[in-house]
Amino acid sequence: MSQPLEGTFSAEHSARLLRQYRYVVERTMRALGGWIALTPELSAKLLMGRHVWDLAQHCDAFGQRLPELRSHAQVSEAANPAVATFMDSLEDAEGPDQTVERLVGVYVVLKPHLLATYRDHLAHANPVYEPPTRRILARCIDDEERHIAAGDTILKYLAAGPRVIDRVSARRRHLDGLLAAAGGVTGAGLPMREALDVAVGQAELVGQAELSDDGREFIRLERATGAWPIPADLEKAQRSFADALVAGDDTALARLLVPGLELETTAWALLRGTSYSHHVTVAFARLGHQRLVKTRLDGPSSSATVLARWVSSPEGWRIAALDVAGRDGVRPA
Amino acid sequence: MDRPIAYDKLAREERFVRMRAREVAELKVAQGLPPFPDLSSRESIKERVHGIMVGELQAMEGAGRSVCDFPDAPWDFTMDMARQVWDESRHVEIYLRLLEHLDGYAGEYPETTILWRCACAEDAAARVAGVNRGLEGLACDVFNQLVHIARKIGDPVLERAVDFVLADEITHVRMGSKWLTKLTEGDAERRRRAIEFQESIDERFNLGGVRREGDHDAVSISIATDVRRMAGFTEEEIERLIKTTQRSQVY
Ligand SMILES: [Fe+2]
Ligand SMILES: [Fe+2]
Repeated sequence: MSQPLEGTFSAEHSARLLRQYRYVVERTMRALGGWIALTPELSAKLLMGRHVWDLAQHCDAFGQRLPELRSHAQVSEAANPAVATFMDSLEDAEGPDQTVERLVGVYVVLKPHLLATYRDHLAHANPVYEPPTRRILARCIDDEERHIAAGDTILKYLAAGPRVIDRVSARRRHLDGLLAAAGGVTGAGLPMREALDVAVGQAELVGQAELSDDGREFIRLERATGAWPIPADLEKAQRSFADALVAGDDTALARLLVPGLELETTAWALLRGTSYSHHVTVAFARLGHQRLVKTRLDGPSSSATVLARWVSSPEGWRIAALDVAGRDGVRPA
Repeated sequence: MDRPIAYDKLAREERFVRMRAREVAELKVAQGLPPFPDLSSRESIKERVHGIMVGELQAMEGAGRSVCDFPDAPWDFTMDMARQVWDESRHVEIYLRLLEHLDGYAGEYPETTILWRCACAEDAAARVAGVNRGLEGLACDVFNQLVHIARKIGDPVLERAVDFVLADEITHVRMGSKWLTKLTEGDAERRRRAIEFQESIDERFNLGGVRREGDHDAVSISIATDVRRMAGFTEEEIERLIKTTQRSQVY
């Protein structure tokens, strides 16, 4: 059966759309690349790390298609200043405690919109004379479906809990508003609401495993540590130490130091007087025969992370060095 | 976005312990241990694998920053860096799984951040010289030897996985050589500074004679001359590296 020969838009319009896609995709790719270092959670790091290259390839494909449509190669163009404002806002979540905000911007707001936009474009691109563009769109659609599904998996994992869910909603409302004000990435208005819902709903897990792009595996790797192999006698000493930190018990703390190490010369001097109500061991590492234990102290107004280097002696485990690894540290996600 | 970022912005989960490389080495030497894990036991292989895993993590983070920090660099530079991010993210996964394979866990040894510090160089040419040629050149030495050791101890999981990572690293060194040349075309001073930066890293990772020319079983890190040739290092560069390892100070 022959395909219809009438088209819905010109070569010039097609080129403009590709430049507009390239603008948001390029900025998103650079933002994801930059955010990897700023994001503490391993699962989110791996997610972003996997998708930077796909987005670079999308940009490259758009950019290479441009001269075939009588336009300059590898050029990006914001549809209007409001699109630039939307992207500025999407990029502004750079804090270590804003992983959720970063993921919402890219995986909940932008990518589902891009997916719906690409699908809309594909539905209107003439199959007789626009196959080169259609092939690019088909590849982008495929990747975006996978990305959205993986992003959704990681976000559900990191955004568990009512307070984080509120942050997700607030961030989504804010960015959705800016995107709507811009008229979407092309400035021509948002694709039909149903198309957007379908876009999110149809995001499949299929294909993730084959491309080693599975959000569930990133979560498994993040959680793989399990129980630390802390020797029983060290665990006991560590508990006494952490209890003494919370109680502010100088005498008990001093007893746990190696001979010659004065409590006054350790980082404890920085923490003394702050009220902490409980402690949790957050890291356990080996350094030769010595052990490093990181303890987080939480209080009503602040928290601190303390790193102790333990050495085994005939008298039992003793602390050879005590440092503050962080204060008022951020929580993951 | 903030471009570039200060090196202390590197974000980590709490389960990692970050320490200066020099301090780690000194504390080990004080316990009568080698400053850098050799490959003589499963425990030391595990420690080496952990060091590589955090190196891969920082390589992913560093390449990601290069995608972000240089929007005005040639487009093909961004493409190469983006590809490297993807490769490094798979390497992180591979080494996390190899750690599991060796009954280890992420955070089992302190993390040092030398690679990340190099990746914070402001000049893109210095980054590719320092990271892609200096540190990923070192990765070629280490991985090549690890493949050999894995084969010798009969660990096909370790052997195969590292063999494929090595193939990627050779590609990353090639990218480094290509962009060191392209980015400094017509700017001899910029090229000189970038190469100097790389050489300071090479010198540092000779680790006071730990890296040397020699048999895989006889030295802690053996210089992978064939692999380095494949990665685009010139005979002169390989020769110079071997010479510098011979006059390297004891740690
Ligand atoms: Fe790597
Ligand atoms: Fe690499």
